[in-house]
Amino acid sequence: MDSTLLAQYALAGLVIGAIYCLMAVGITFIYSVVRMINWAMGEFYMIGGYVQYLLIESWLGPQHWYLALPLAACSVALLGMGVQRVLLRPMFTGTLERLDEYATIVTIALTVLLRNLAIVIFGPYQFSPPDYANPVQLGPLPLNGSRFVAFVGAVVLLALFAFVIRRTWFGLALRAVAQNRLGAVAAGINLGRIDMLAFGIGVGLAGAAGALLAPVFLVFPQSGALSTVKGFEIIVIGGLGSLPGAIAGGLLLGLVESLGSVLLSPSFRDVYGFGALLLILVLRPTGLWGERAREA
Amino acid sequence: MKRSAAAAGTGLVAAALLPLVLGPYHVHVLTVALYYVVLASSWNLLAGYTGLFSLAHHVFAGIGAYTSALLVIHTGVPIPAGVAAGAAVACAAGFALGSVTLRLRMLYLALATWAFAESTRVAVSMEYGITRGDLGLAVPTLFRGPSPTPYYELFLACAAAAVAGMVWLLRSPIGYRIRAIRDDEGAARAAGINTVRWKRFAFAAASGAAGAAGALYGHYIGLLSPVSMQFDEMALIIIMVILGGQRTIAGPVIGAVSVEVVSEGLRAYGQIRMVIFALLVLGLMRLYPPGLVGLLRAAAARLPRGGVAASATNSAP
Repeated sequence: MDSTLLAQYALAGLVIGAIYCLMAVGITFIYSVVRMINWAMGEFYMIGGYVQYLLIESWLGPQHWYLALPLAACSVALLGMGVQRVLLRPMFTGTLERLDEYATIVTIALTVLLRNLAIVIFGPYQFSPPDYANPVQLGPLPLNGSRFVAFVGAVVLLALFAFVIRRTWFGLALRAVAQNRLGAVAAGINLGRIDMLAFGIGVGLAGAAGALLAPVFLVFPQSGALSTVKGFEIIVIGGLGSLPGAIAGGLLLGLVESLGSVLLSPSFRDVYGFGALLLILVLRPTGLWGERAREA
Repeated sequence: MKRSAAAAGTGLVAAALLPLVLGPYHVHVLTVALYYVVLASSWNLLAGYTGLFSLAHHVFAGIGAYTSALLVIHTGVPIPAGVAAGAAVACAAGFALGSVTLRLRMLYLALATWAFAESTRVAVSMEYGITRGDLGLAVPTLFRGPSPTPYYELFLACAAAAVAGMVWLLRSPIGYRIRAIRDDEGAARAAGINTVRWKRFAFAAASGAAGAAGALYGHYIGLLSPVSMQFDEMALIIIMVILGGQRTIAGPVIGAVSVEVVSEGLRAYGQIRMVIFALLVLGLMRLYPPGLVGLLRAAAARLPRGGVAASATNSAP
C-alpha cells in the first residue's frame, strides 16, 4: 500500500472524526447538565443538514455558504430550546426528582416524529448542496474543499465551546449545574433557563455537524440514525461526561472507519466502529480512560 | 391470584374465538399485535425487570427470522425446525452480546446495544449475496392459503406462552434474583447471587423469545428486509412497553395491542401516519406524564377489585 494514499485516507478519517466529535460532545454535554440522553440527537443533525441545503439552494446561493453554516446551527439550537421548554421540562417534577422514563419516551417519539416529518415534507430523496469551497493542498496531500471547511468549522466550534465552558460565567453556571443541581439553585442559578440553553447548545452542535457535512455526505430523512449511533459509539469508547474522551473517541472512530474502508472493504464502513467498540470492551472493559464503574 | 388467573383464562378463550366475528383484515392486525406482545413482554423482562436497557431487541427478532428463512430455503428443513434454529441462534447471539456488555450499565449498555443493532442492520443489507439486502428475501409461509386465522391462533398461543412464562419466571427464585440485580447489582452480588450468570440468562432468554417470534413472523408475512431492523421498530417496542407500563405483566400486552391497533387505524392517512402517531404519544406524555399506565392505575383505583387489567397490574410485584 502506497504510504501517501494511506496518509490521504488517514487525513480524511481525522476530518470526519472531528465532526463525530461534535455529535459526541453534544450528547455528553446534554447528559451532564440536563441529566438525560437525547435519543433524537441524529434528527437534529438531519435538520441541520436540511436547513443548510435549503439556505444554499434557495436563498443565499453557494457563494454565501459561510453565512448558511451559523444560521443552520443557530436555528437548530433555537428549535432545541423550544423542544426542551415545551416537551422536556415536565421531566423534572422537583429540583432533583425526575421521571426517568419520561425523557426516554419523549425523545424517542421525537425521532419518529422528525424523521417521518422529513419524509412527508421533502420526500425520501437524497439532497446535497454543491461543493462550495475550492480544494486545498495540505503539504503533499490534496483535500476536498468542503471537507476542509467541515474540519476547520468543527475545530473552531469545539474551541469556542471549550472557551465558553472553561472561561465564562455562563460556563461556570453550566458546570455548577452539572456538578450539583441543588447547590446551583442555592447559588441563585435559574435551573430552568440553564437546562433550556444547555439542551439548545447540545443539539446546536449536532445541527452544526449536519450543516458542515451536508456537502460531504447526503442529506436524507434517515441520515440521523447512523450519526446518532456513531455519537453513541464514541461515548462508550470515551466515557460519558468526558470532553477529552469524546474528542479522542471521535478522532479514533473516524480513523478506524477510513482505514477500515481502504484496507478491508468500503461497503462495511459503518460496521468498523462497532468492531472497534467491541475490541475496546473486550480488551479494556472499563473504556479508554478506565473508569472503574461504568454506571450512568 | 386465582381471580386474575381465571380472568386471564377467560380472556384467552374469548381472544381465541375472535376470528369467528372479525374479518380477515382485523384478524391480521391482531396477529401483528400479538407478535409485538411477545417482543414487548420479552423486552420488559430484559429492560424492566433485569434493568438491562437493550436497544437491540428488534434485531434479535430479525436474526431469528433470517436464520430460519435461510435454513428453510437452502437446506429444505421443515419450517418448525427452522424456527427452532432461529430461536437458538438469536438466543446464542443474545448470550454473546450479554457477555460482551456485562460490565456496562444503564446508558452505556443502551448505547453499545444500539451500536450492535445498527451494525447488524448494515451488515444484513450489505451482504446482499446471502440476504438479498434491501430487495427483500421471499420466505416460504407456514400455512397454505391466505387466511390469517391459523397464524392468529398460533401467535395467540405464543403470546400466551410468553406471558405465562414471564409470570412463572417472576414468581420463581430467578425472578427475585433478576429484580435484585436491577435494584442494586452490588448488593445482589453480596447476597450471593451470581449476577454474571443471571444477566446473561436474561439476555439469552429474552433474545431467544424475540428470535422465535421473529422467525414465525417471517414465515407469516413471507418477506424479510433489513427495514425491520431499523431503529423505528425498537422505538415502537419501547413506546409500547413504557406507555403500557414497565415492570408489569399486563402493561406490555395492553401497550402492544393498543399501539398496534392505533397505528394501524392511522394507516388511512398514508405517509403522515407515523407523524400523527408520534404526536399522539408526545401529546399523551406532555399532558399526562404518568402515561397510559398511570391512567390505568387511576382507573383501577376507582374500581376496587374490578377488571382484568386492574388486578393484573396490581399483582405485578
